[in-house]
Amino acid sequence: MMSTILPAFFNPVFSLLSLGLGIGALLGYVAQRFQVTSDPVVERINDLLPQTQCGQCGYPGCKPYAEAIASGDAINKCPPGGDETIASLASLLNVRALPLDDALGTAGPRMVAVIREAECIGCAKCILACPVDAILGAPKFMHTVIASECTGCDLCIEPCPVDCIDMVQAEPTIPEVPSFLFSAADSQTIQACINCGLCVPECPVGIQPHLLYHACRTERWDNAQDLKLMHCIECSKCDAACPSQLPLTTSYQDAKEAVHHQQKDRERAVRAKRRFELHQLRTERFAAEEEARRQKRATLAKEREKVTASSIQAALSRARARQQGKEQES
Amino acid sequence: MTDIFLLLVGAVLVNNFVLTQFLGLCPFMGVSGNMETAVGMSAATLFVLTLASACSYLVFQYLLVPLGLEYLRTIAFIVVIAALVSMTEIIMHRTSPLLYRVLGIFLPLITSNCAVLGVALLNVNQAHSFVESVFYGFGAAFGFSLVLVLFAAMREKMAGSDIPEPFQGPAIAMITAGLMSLAFMGFSGMV
Repeated sequence: MMSTILPAFFNPVFSLLSLGLGIGALLGYVAQRFQVTSDPVVERINDLLPQTQCGQCGYPGCKPYAEAIASGDAINKCPPGGDETIASLASLLNVRALPLDDALGTAGPRMVAVIREAECIGCAKCILACPVDAILGAPKFMHTVIASECTGCDLCIEPCPVDCIDMVQAEPTIPEVPSFLFSAADSQTIQACINCGLCVPECPVGIQPHLLYHACRTERWDNAQDLKLMHCIECSKCDAACPSQLPLTTSYQDAKEAVHHQQKDRERAVRAKRRFELHQLRTERFAAEEEARRQKRATLAKEREKVTASSIQAALSRARARQQGKEQES
Repeated sequence: MTDIFLLLVGAVLVNNFVLTQFLGLCPFMGVSGNMETAVGMSAATLFVLTLASACSYLVFQYLLVPLGLEYLRTIAFIVVIAALVSMTEIIMHRTSPLLYRVLGIFLPLITSNCAVLGVALLNVNQAHSFVESVFYGFGAAFGFSLVLVLFAAMREKMAGSDIPEPFQGPAIAMITAGLMSLAFMGFSGMV
């Protein structure tokens, strides 16, 4: 009945309109119901950064850079983290790994600051600059760096008035990976793994050596650990069984070393992060206390000014009264 | 019961949406780079496709047919699918932010995954009932997930193998997809 009275386009327009309105209302409700307040991705990214707090990325610390990455900044701005950090960020965010931005600095071995103690004048300027509180000392006393807590950020070098701080190489953290494992030129001399499985029954601890070899070769350490890398007793029975004569045990040894160093780096980063957070808390508290003191001083000064002004007024009026008295006498 | 089982097997294996009907190739190539993303994408597609086939059936039968508007089905289905995808996106952003980030642009792109619209239109063409529609959608999504996860596993494996330089990257992925498609041809005539 309706359709005969109303124009022909009423039905399609009205039905699509109501469909759209209904769906829009539903989406609006869902968006309200599942509103996202904070971005937990930032925390995940921050955990991957090396926590040196060096600011080489152009942000004041690792957390701000993590926030910047989460909102779309490039992942290749962290020289202390190097290619390893870029790779882990790339796999977390599923973006392509970029080479490190050379303009910001170069990745190198881990450095620590060392104070030439004979030259230190005890000015305490470096202590204020250290983001992780890794420098010990007090005004007019010699300072020293806690080497295990130093992140090698360079921030203490610049404030030192007598240039007595040096950056020296800490113990090497990146294992020397044998070049034949990764270089394209030498890979021809080594035959590829043909997945023949001859190594599998040889392994006394039940590892699948060929799968583990692939994981180690592609530097997927998590994957390697899932494949029980740490269970390997390095008996080299798989080497003997391999028809392609792959250096299986050697690659596992290198992988173990790399995993070990990675874990140590991670532990160091976690410690540095905690120290930085404490440092920040302390700095904020000091700033707040200083501000409170300043305000108190200001109010005191104002009151004192008022008192002085009123006493001057009183003295003036007294003097004037005396003068008037004298004039009347005369 | 047998009908529904046959419908499922047909949608998953025989008329696999990706490898036999060549629908939904964009996410198939795009998110099969690693296993984690592939599984996430599969779950999202499974959810959206099943729900979309149910909703589009309801919209078709109870809105378009009574009003004589069958010719509007493509537009109506796209609206329904887009809404479902947006809803999935909002819910996923809250419940699993990392997957949301990892899927990135591919999540909204489920909207334009032709397998989703394909299922809705095929349901109408083949005059499926409501239950059949839901199972057909589920089967199509399951087939898509199966192929996607298998393909992702192969690509992960290929990342560690010695591939001649001209074949590296998308080239070898295309060849592998072609071989998988050939393999799935073996199922034809099963149902």
